[in-house]
Amino acid sequence: MAAKKKSAVAQAQAAAKAKKGGGVGMNKAAVLMILAALVPFSLPTVILLFFTGLPTLGAWASEKGRHKYAWLCVGGLNFAGVIPYLFTLWFGVHTVDEALNMLSDAGVLLWAYGASGFGWLLYMITPPMVASWLSFTTDRRVASLKSAQKKLVEEWGEEVSRKGG
Amino acid sequence: MAEAEDARTETQAAKTAGPPGVLRDRFTIRSNQPLPDLFTPNAEAYVAEDKRDPNRSLYALICRPDLPPRVTVMRALKGVLSPGIVQLVEWGAMNWAPAGRQCMTVVYERPAGKRLMANLRSEFRRIDEYDIQRRVVEPMVSAIKELTSRGITHRAIRATNLFYMDGAGERLALGDCVSTPAGFDQPLVFETIESGMANPVARGSGTYSDDLYSLGVMLIFLFLGRNPVAHLDDEAILKQKIQQGSYGTLVGDERLPLALIELLRGLLCDDPDQRWDIESLDLWLSGRRLSPLQSRMEKRAARGFPFNGKEYFNCRELAQAMAKNWEAAIPPVLEGKLELWLRRAVEDKERAQVIADVVRMALTGTTDKKVAADLMLCKVLILLDPPAPIRYKGFNAMPDGFGSALAAVVAQKADNRLLVEIILRAVPSLWFEARKAYLPDNSLMEGNFKELKAYLGQTGMGFGLERCLYELNDALPCQSSLLGEDYVVELKELLPALNAAAARRSDTKQVPVDRHIAAFMGARARSDIDRNLQGLSDPEPSKALMALLNLYAVFQYRLGPESLPNLTAWLGALAQPIVNSFHSRDRRKELDKELPKIIRRGSIVEIYNLLDNAEAKDKDVNEFAWAQAQYQAAEEEIKRVKTDSEERADEAERVGKQTAAMIGILIAFVTTTFVVISKVW
Repeated sequence: MAAKKKSAVAQAQAAAKAKKGGGVGMNKAAVLMILAALVPFSLPTVILLFFTGLPTLGAWASEKGRHKYAWLCVGGLNFAGVIPYLFTLWFGVHTVDEALNMLSDAGVLLWAYGASGFGWLLYMITPPMVASWLSFTTDRRVASLKSAQKKLVEEWGEEVSRKGG
Repeated sequence: MAEAEDARTETQAAKTAGPPGVLRDRFTIRSNQPLPDLFTPNAEAYVAEDKRDPNRSLYALICRPDLPPRVTVMRALKGVLSPGIVQLVEWGAMNWAPAGRQCMTVVYERPAGKRLMANLRSEFRRIDEYDIQRRVVEPMVSAIKELTSRGITHRAIRATNLFYMDGAGERLALGDCVSTPAGFDQPLVFETIESGMANPVARGSGTYSDDLYSLGVMLIFLFLGRNPVAHLDDEAILKQKIQQGSYGTLVGDERLPLALIELLRGLLCDDPDQRWDIESLDLWLSGRRLSPLQSRMEKRAARGFPFNGKEYFNCRELAQAMAKNWEAAIPPVLEGKLELWLRRAVEDKERAQVIADVVRMALTGTTDKKVAADLMLCKVLILLDPPAPIRYKGFNAMPDGFGSALAAVVAQKADNRLLVEIILRAVPSLWFEARKAYLPDNSLMEGNFKELKAYLGQTGMGFGLERCLYELNDALPCQSSLLGEDYVVELKELLPALNAAAARRSDTKQVPVDRHIAAFMGARARSDIDRNLQGLSDPEPSKALMALLNLYAVFQYRLGPESLPNLTAWLGALAQPIVNSFHSRDRRKELDKELPKIIRRGSIVEIYNLLDNAEAKDKDVNEFAWAQAQYQAAEEEIKRVKTDSEERADEAERVGKQTAAMIGILIAFVTTTFVVISKVW
């Protein structure tokens, strides 16, 4: 009976997995196909974003460990550095030549990569700052608890620290 | 010669005398003016003066501290005016400088004349048959009637305790009967056979029949003007009384008038059931003459019972000899020789069978052989001589004399193991079981002895031998060393005495109670306080002290006095464990502040109420438990915070990275928004 039940559950899980896996594959393929179809129309944008977004790709590829947030921080600032030029491209001449022309401009790359560098800096200094803050609040909590304990001892004597029977 | 001795006594007394004693702020007892003529065998007499009536002629007897006086009789006899007894004017405990302590003192009207008979060997002017009725019998009978109506006995009727109350030598009256236990001062000749067998201190109050017997003996002395058995010692007198009867022993070959023979045969009858009572005496006094009672002697055995080198021909005599030689008496009884003698020589098959059963039970019983043999012999002696006192291993006591015997043993700090053994082995019940007729007093006493056994079984304060002592002696003063020399007879006197003791105490850690005080309270309190007494032995000092405070508070509330500042100070100094039993420091400070105020007021009741506030106690316990829980919770949190540093670093890193990511995204959004707005406008 139990074996039957187990096999039924296993079957249902397998079916759901198969369904889910199939769905994801389908979506990915559809998105890739749409993006591939759009490439001929937005190739200048893609070229500009690819070359200016290299620090973000680098951050994504280089970070190890459980908490991978570097690409978001670096990417955010990287994007903030690129967005004005992207808008110039979109509202100006949206061609591959213009995109390559922009990429050859040192100012564009300086903004994009400089902002990414600032992003890296931000990503490196925030955790120690947060750790210091957390340590500070913990110390305050411990001090407050010890003070409460001292007050209890003053009110009830040393025997209050013994475990109640 | 006697005068010279008196002068010597007076000089010696004057040397040791201190300031005079004062009884109840009214009677002054002159310690430098002894009255040797009025001394009793165990109490010294001194001149007493009444402050309200200096012309009144009085004397005082100072009781021996190691003997229990008859306080109940003092209470009943105070102020009684009877021609046959010297008036007891006042009594009470008094500071007595020569003894350096409080002593029970009895003030009597001072006889104008001398003692009729100075000692048992002296001779005096005889009273003839024409005067004896008017001068002796009538006043004595009237006195015995008076005492009987008050539920007491005299037990000191003897020729050496008879005084001429007037200078003319007309009026005779009996002297002191309260300064020692009942019958203690009585020479054996004046006591019945049974009472004579008992240890003097354990003769017991007896009944008026014992007084009538003593009156009979005294009448013979008065008629003859001497002691008819002065040549015999006590043992010989008792032996002769058993063999020949009291009348035969005392009258012997003396020639007595017929009227007196009838009276004396009636009074000296050895069978208490046949002895004359007050009604018979009244009939005799009214002139009705009856044929004299013939004493029925116990049947003489056909052959004697050989014991301890002698031969005995009747049961009573043999029982007495065996009681005196306890260890030697056991083997012949166990061997069945006594049963055989009773069967063949005395021809009392019924008694022989009962004794055979008793012996068989002792031999087959599962208890310790020695104990079984002792109890067996005690039972056998009772069967041989039922009216005799309880006789056990050399201690002979009438059941109502056991209390005074115990009191004397305790006061003299003598070995009390035998008395304890008697109570624990329920020896008195053997005596009560052998009574043929039902007597309410006997069943009451039997019940009391059962209670005493239960008290002895409890070892805590308020029980044990001390409790037995006070239960058996309603008027015995508390023997506690804490009270010093104070004479505390009633419960209402206890707290004032402790208050006085508190003022002179040196040991600050001593608790104001001991085994004697606890037992005294248990015996004298009208309600059952045994549960409270058990609290006194609590191993936790604070609980034991609370139990004591509870008792003292109840007594102060019921019996007063309102203020006992020294005692409250004593109790207050010991109350720290109770104060410390509160957990709250604030409550402790509050109590420490409040206690001295109450101590100054001297109220134990208020101390008790302050310290025994159940509501405050519960609140304290609950709040303390809550505080403990809070403390532990804080402790655990601190520990958790300190031990989770690795996890905390990991958490800090995660939060830091997330924060950085959020900032990055936010900057991207803000920039995009600005760019869009700038391009659109």
